[in-house]
Amino acid sequence: MRAVRQALQVARKDLAVELRTKESLNAAGAFAIVILLLFSFAFDPAAEETRAIAGGLLWLVFAFAGALVFNRGFARELPNECLDALLSSQLSSPSLLLGKAITNFVLLLVVEALSLIVFGIFYNMRWWLHFWELAGVFALGTWGISIIGAVFGALTVNLRLRELMLPVLIYPLLIPLLMAAIELTNILLGTGALTADNLLWARVLVVFDIVFTALALALAEVILVN
Amino acid sequence: MDPHTISVLYARNFQFMFYGFAAAWVIVALYIISLARRGARLKKELEDVRRLIASEGDEPQLRI
Amino acid sequence: MREKLVTWLAIIAGLFLAFNLYRIFLVLPDDAMQGPIYRIIYFHVPAAITGFVGYFVALALSVLYLSSGNFKYDSLAASVTEVALIFSCVNIVLGSIWARIIWGIWWTWDARLTSVLISILIYSGYLMLRRAIDEPTQRARLSAALSIFGCLDVVIIWKSIEWFRTQHPAPVLSIRTGGGNIDPAMEHMIYYNLLAFLLLGTALVLVRSRQEGISREIDSLRRMANAVERHIA
Repeated sequence: MRAVRQALQVARKDLAVELRTKESLNAAGAFAIVILLLFSFAFDPAAEETRAIAGGLLWLVFAFAGALVFNRGFARELPNECLDALLSSQLSSPSLLLGKAITNFVLLLVVEALSLIVFGIFYNMRWWLHFWELAGVFALGTWGISIIGAVFGALTVNLRLRELMLPVLIYPLLIPLLMAAIELTNILLGTGALTADNLLWARVLVVFDIVFTALALALAEVILVN
Repeated sequence: MDPHTISVLYARNFQFMFYGFAAAWVIVALYIISLARRGARLKKELEDVRRLIASEGDEPQLRI
Repeated sequence: MREKLVTWLAIIAGLFLAFNLYRIFLVLPDDAMQGPIYRIIYFHVPAAITGFVGYFVALALSVLYLSSGNFKYDSLAASVTEVALIFSCVNIVLGSIWARIIWGIWWTWDARLTSVLISILIYSGYLMLRRAIDEPTQRARLSAALSIFGCLDVVIIWKSIEWFRTQHPAPVLSIRTGGGNIDPAMEHMIYYNLLAFLLLGTALVLVRSRQEGISREIDSLRRMANAVERHIA
């Protein structure tokens, strides 16, 4: 589809820029590691209780690091009026938004992979035991965060207090997604027993992703036209 | 439970019920007061701006 | 005309509430297990329902604004959200006070209280966003988008937390009205108070949205004054 191809073009451009400078990745990656370090002081890594809440710690790190990535997403287009250029081009608003979301998604996945490795070392957790299910949860959860991050990155791009407003707006909205991701991650890092009850959370993830991606695409014109 | 404890608990129960209703009224009252103040301020501002426009129409201010 | 409507609504709501309070305190009996404190339910539940009704009405108004472009809808949406927020705060504070007596703790991560808390955070963000944008059209558009996102999210949150918290032992705070496990007189009182709250809420919304309209008028007059000034100078 043309729209998807355009979105991928936007994503490729952004990722190319990012790969050259690596500023978002460095900032978000460093931030994630520092937070994990701080957590190791707050929650004793050796204790049993900490292993039980490992999923929660990880997703908090991802959510915080994500905010750094999303802030840059549209802000990067502000100098030299690149944003206006993008908006007045033939690019449809949904494609632009989708492209930004894909960029967020890829960048955040990289940060998550890094965090997972560091986390495994700090907390002595063997996260590879149920790797593919974990990857699935990470993908679904990260997509939800990315699309919301893209929407609100666009919404707040022209505000004075952008860096403050973005987290304030997105974190309450992300609570159901984070809850589901945390539950599933806790299970997969622990016993790995995915029962019918637990799959309910996977359903929440999927519903969240579908509903908000659809809504984001439907309201893209509203959000992006300035 | 002995009657004394029961009556103390009952009194506290009653007390908190009043706190609850009081809290509800206070919150709504505070909001209504803030609405009233905002309304007064807006009215004054509207009059000021209207007066400003009317006066500008009569004597154009020359800015050097 | 509008002033008269507001005044009448406020008076009717006030009288209704006064009458209800009389019945709540002097006519209805104590709850067998909870004692007098349970009477808080007559404010707590109607406040909760009014809050949520407000969020859905704001959703509808936001959609109406986006499709029509008429600022009247934006004013109403913002006002409804603000008033709904007030009622949600009343809901939470009362819930907390009630919890203190019944369970001995100021807060519990019960499904309903938590959902209301999150919705308060989301819609506080809405009000913050409005305050951060000066340009009226952009403000209207972006807050409409946030209102739609927020309301859908509140629905998802409600259901998710219900599932989340029923896996852990959690006291059921509110009674599913119509479930047959509550005295009909009590149930009716909840509905009567709900009506009173809705009337009061409507009056507040009308006042607030009128203020929004005035604020916009001031803004456009200022722009005009600036334009005139610059033209003359």
